[in-house]
Amino acid sequence: MSTINFSAREINFKIVYYGPGLSGKTTNIKKIYEQVPGEAKGEMVSLATEDERTLFFDFLPLDLGSVNGFKTRFHLYTVPGQVFYNSSRKLILRGVDGIVFVADSDPSRLRANAESLRNLRENLKEYNLSLDEIPYVIQLNKRDLPNALPSEMVRQVLDPTGKVQTYDAIASQFVGVFEPLKGVSKLVLEKLAQTT
Amino acid sequence: MLEPSLQLYGSTYDEVNSMLDELISKSHARYAMIIDLKGFVLLHNKALWAPKPPSLDSLASLVASNYSANTAIAKLLGEDGFKEMVQQGEEIGTYLEELGEHAILVTIFDKSAALGRVKLFTKKAAEDIREVIDKSTEQAPQLTFDSGSTSALLDSFFGDNE
Repeated sequence: MSTINFSAREINFKIVYYGPGLSGKTTNIKKIYEQVPGEAKGEMVSLATEDERTLFFDFLPLDLGSVNGFKTRFHLYTVPGQVFYNSSRKLILRGVDGIVFVADSDPSRLRANAESLRNLRENLKEYNLSLDEIPYVIQLNKRDLPNALPSEMVRQVLDPTGKVQTYDAIASQFVGVFEPLKGVSKLVLEKLAQTT
Repeated sequence: MLEPSLQLYGSTYDEVNSMLDELISKSHARYAMIIDLKGFVLLHNKALWAPKPPSLDSLASLVASNYSANTAIAKLLGEDGFKEMVQQGEEIGTYLEELGEHAILVTIFDKSAALGRVKLFTKKAAEDIREVIDKSTEQAPQLTFDSGSTSALLDSFFGDNE
């Protein structure tokens, strides 16, 4: 549910990057931070362990510009991917407006991708939400791995019906990073437009 | 989708804003802010003498997450939540009070303000704000969004490649 601040004339959305550990969620946010000009971004906050694994979340506020006199602001969050941080993942999903699911193209991570998506569905249920109602897209990251699984195979596992927009990416090289964010932002704004 | 976390419009907004002013003045705090549990700032105010606050977005996001984590810890231990949420450093401290289910009142103070005083006036302000909001009958202003203008916004920010 978007937060509207009528006095400040702002509409705020929360986008969460979800996916298995080491799939590249933090890399996405870091690359976005590097590419977005200064006036359109706020400070990036990372709560990470000493070895740079996400402990709680990464956070980056973006100011996209104005629509009909309202500032449109997106707050990007990542969740910790490691299996045992599920309590933290659940907390970050509170009030989510849109999700980018970052999948790993490494053959050894196919099961982890599927497990993370199952975990996402389960955690959304706690807030009485489901992936059928929340705008979400899939990013197939690490397409540069020499043994990367065919995109179609990962898609078949994560989205057998082929309904979800999916983007190939090499986040570390800023390839396919903006596209899924733009895709999910579009879905989120379209949902808002339908309700106004 | 368009439900706000708190009914803060028009005269209710003005009333709550002056309550934050009063809270700052009586407690001698630097800043007071209302944030929702998603981590967005709904309203904020600062003492005239206080230095410029740090990034409000970062602050709100961290306070809301910290609050949620503390509530989750309390639940693990069999409590509904912790009654007191106070953090104190050498120079600066924060004190939190719930405002219903979706928002928190945060008071940020330095060592020139006594913690007891901050707690007293923050609790009082939270009660008064809850009362004003509960009584508010003001309707949310109407918003209109069309997909054409939102597409233009996204194209100008991200470029027009899909």
